[in-house]
Amino acid sequence: MTPVFPLNLWDVSLVLAVTAIILLITSEILSPYYGAANLKISKKRLKNSAITTSILFLVTVAIRIATMIYGMS
Amino acid sequence: MRISVNSPRAIGLMLLLLGAAGLLVAIIYSSSVPALISLGLIFWGIIISYIQSEEYVKKTILNSTSTTLLTALDETLRSLDYRGKAIYLPPKYLNDPQSTKIYIPKLQNDTLPSPDATQKLEMQPTQKNAQGILVTPPGAELARLLETELGTSLLRIGLKDLPQRLPKTLIEDLEIMTNCDIQTSTNNITGKSPETQTNQNTIFVRFTTTALKETCKEATQLSMIFSNIGCPLSSVFAIAFAKATGKPISITTQNVSEDGEKNETEYTVVEEFTA
Repeated sequence: MTPVFPLNLWDVSLVLAVTAIILLITSEILSPYYGAANLKISKKRLKNSAITTSILFLVTVAIRIATMIYGMS
Repeated sequence: MRISVNSPRAIGLMLLLLGAAGLLVAIIYSSSVPALISLGLIFWGIIISYIQSEEYVKKTILNSTSTTLLTALDETLRSLDYRGKAIYLPPKYLNDPQSTKIYIPKLQNDTLPSPDATQKLEMQPTQKNAQGILVTPPGAELARLLETELGTSLLRIGLKDLPQRLPKTLIEDLEIMTNCDIQTSTNNITGKSPETQTNQNTIFVRFTTTALKETCKEATQLSMIFSNIGCPLSSVFAIAFAKATGKPISITTQNVSEDGEKNETEYTVVEEFTA
């Protein structure tokens, strides 16, 4: 049996979408003055991560659309 | 219950390793559930490792060190007996256009000398019986950091663009303020305070800070600093205005709230020397 990656593009797209939403919301509502937490978060980097994940999700959507268009023809 | 995260980097690495192992298992058994979980673990491992800030200093340490420096500057000026109004100089008054200096006259009513005179004074800082003294302002390094974050020199940004660009950088990038509002009175209608509505050459700045509130509060106790040189944050604005307008700037009034968080400062363009 050959090992196969068990997720298809649609699954990856869904994971990316959910993560992008979580990161975007967190980066917007996060305050730099959050009190006693020991995990120091760079707001700028968090925002960059959120934007990158969103772009990756949009790329998967674009791939699906392209597949649909070229699949029809 | 309070959860203490002592080593976020170690947690990030652990998540990455768990995710990689899970992904391997998912590929071997062709199972989608462990694959989804592993992707999540890998993702959060990367995020936790990446989003950490490199260096943080406790606010109490920052405040205590900066306050001492301000006190030292105040004591030096008082012992040298320079009692005039501090003037933030634009680059044309200095030998190096990138440097930042304030001119403090010996007497209260003394005026600003010519650019040539301040350039000579800069070359001879130990000159005895000088009519004024050139001092590096408390916000000089912060202004340099601001220029680095802006990605350009303050000399290239006009006064028109400053009210948009400065607050964004100070709040979002440097995270040194939570609120910032700059009102220039060049067109005579933007100033909210009565003074800025009538005077053509004033700039009104209102900001809230939690990062340097103790320093700003302590600065109110220092007679030569408060309402003259200004606290480090008021000083940054004066430097920015002097560079952007190319004209000397002085602090007219400064009001700081009791806790040091809220600050309202008014800046005036100083009349230049005419031969």
